[in-house]
Amino acid sequence: MSEKDQADLAAMEKTDEPDLDRGMVEAWAAKMISNPDRAYRATFYVATIFFLVTTLFPFYWLLMVALTPRNRLSSVGVLTPGGFNPGAFVEIFTTLPFHRYIFNSFLIAVVATVIVLFVASLAGYVFGRLRFRAKNVLLLSVLVTSFFPPAAFFVPLNRLFNRNIDILRPLMQDGSLYNTPYAIFIPLSALYLPLSIFILMTFYSQIPDGLEDAARVEGTTRLGALFRIIVPLSAPGVATAGVLTFITVYNEYFFSSLMTDGRPQSWAPMLEGILRFQGEFEVLFNLMAAASIVAVLPVAILVIVAQEKIVSGLTAGAVKE
Amino acid sequence: MRPLNWLETQSEATFAYVLLAPAFLLLAVIAFYPLLRTFSFSLLADQTAAPTPFGEFIGFDNYVALLTGEALLPQQFLDPSFATPILQQALFVTLAFAILSVLFETLIGFGQAIVLDQDFYGRRWVRVAIIIPYAIPIVIQAMIFYLMFNPTVGFAADFMQSIGVFGSNPLTNATDSFIIVLVADIWKTSAFMALLILAGLQSIDRGLYDVARVSGASPWQQFKYITLPLIAPALLVAMLFRTMDAMRIYGLIDATAGCQTVPSMSCLVITALQNTRRWATASAVAFLTAVVIGVLVLLYLISLRDTEAGVT
Repeated sequence: MSEKDQADLAAMEKTDEPDLDRGMVEAWAAKMISNPDRAYRATFYVATIFFLVTTLFPFYWLLMVALTPRNRLSSVGVLTPGGFNPGAFVEIFTTLPFHRYIFNSFLIAVVATVIVLFVASLAGYVFGRLRFRAKNVLLLSVLVTSFFPPAAFFVPLNRLFNRNIDILRPLMQDGSLYNTPYAIFIPLSALYLPLSIFILMTFYSQIPDGLEDAARVEGTTRLGALFRIIVPLSAPGVATAGVLTFITVYNEYFFSSLMTDGRPQSWAPMLEGILRFQGEFEVLFNLMAAASIVAVLPVAILVIVAQEKIVSGLTAGAVKE
Repeated sequence: MRPLNWLETQSEATFAYVLLAPAFLLLAVIAFYPLLRTFSFSLLADQTAAPTPFGEFIGFDNYVALLTGEALLPQQFLDPSFATPILQQALFVTLAFAILSVLFETLIGFGQAIVLDQDFYGRRWVRVAIIIPYAIPIVIQAMIFYLMFNPTVGFAADFMQSIGVFGSNPLTNATDSFIIVLVADIWKTSAFMALLILAGLQSIDRGLYDVARVSGASPWQQFKYITLPLIAPALLVAMLFRTMDAMRIYGLIDATAGCQTVPSMSCLVITALQNTRRWATASAVAFLTAVVIGVLVLLYLISLRDTEAGVT
């Protein structure tokens, strides 16, 4: 594919070539040898187009499946739908309360993000700006938790969340946390806490000491200085941590799929909704595709709007070790 | 205001511990304590019929049973003769998946990073397009590949069958499903490697390349003697993160081929728990998963130390 494209490209650019009796490939080769920069340029365009097609094509095809009517699903083409039925995007809300699943996912992601931002702000301030003896040991233990797979924590947590606790009885029907949003956002807040701590630690450590000292001299408390001076001045960092936490919690599978029974009123998140279209008698492929497109829109928009934040957050989180 | 006033009078170390308390409380309840509990559960006997899932203390018998293949777990289809112990199958699947996915993601991520490192019109939008797969929910990534390789809807199943690589229903065949899961993961996570490699590329002083060009270095030599050594530390850290993440693989398998077809370590924990109610054996598998990842991280950190010592 690449050679043909390059040949085409060269043919288009062949205007100032004096030797007319050469074949197309030879002309291209001669040109590339005399002007290697042009060869690099051509390879670069081919590579760019290749990466664009491979990353975006699956979404395009998903739309083709969603638009195909149910009885024509075996005739979905590679580039064309097997018919035209935009009604699938309405059907996903009538067949199942898919909006409720999306709402559950949003609620879980927002609550987890708020918890993570608050707790990680306190911890990030300590690790980024204070000096005390046990700092490195504690920072290492935060890092270590992000190494372990969620499966290593799952058996005890599953037992804990299924146990009936008397104190919770007034709050939950049966006193257990299973089938409540708590069973999802509490573990996820903890598991995604380290990433936000690292991001905020980096940002908070870059605020000049003078600003904090000035606020303290003016009579602000220590915590006041953190939330009135450090946090507002690190707004881009807080936004980065927030966007990344929201996306990772919204996208999570392990706890989200195991901590509820999958019914919308049990606070099952969006992923259960999509998998529910694998109905009892028939797999509703077009509705699965339509539901996937609807559920991916929020994150896709977030990526487009907050691109810089995501990039800087991912690199900061990893480079910090 | 009382608690805040109290905080003002404390030393910096005490203040630090107070601020760290919520974070460590959360981590202790969700991570540290459950990890220890998993280990202590794994030393107990299974009780599949009794109301409590755990029996008496039996030491390391669960581990012995797992390693010798005597553990009673739902059998998987990877090895039809049932000769290979299930734990070894899971270990093989997990390690093979981690190594292959990280290898391909690094290579493709490098290509994407080099493209994004150029200055061209529309660079911002190309970057968005390359990042989007990384930001989509696992269940949707799984749906895309589930539909593509479904014999009724997907074109990829027919195509792969016609060129003789896959069988007629790839999502029920262990090898075919493994490849599908691998491709799906590479599609989604190459962007992560690309972003980290790009950050490494952009931190290189461009003047070095000018010096190299004046000294007559070819592009390959520039890459080998300038680019590679300078981004090696960042690259190794990125690979470490990806390896840890790849070894946790669960959701993608669960939503495409199913945990019975492609048994990863995390999958095995869940099937042991849900299908056979063997909580103690599940705990042993879970703890072994953590140990395997821990050993891998250690190996990485040792090699990372060596390269850093070699560079500086």
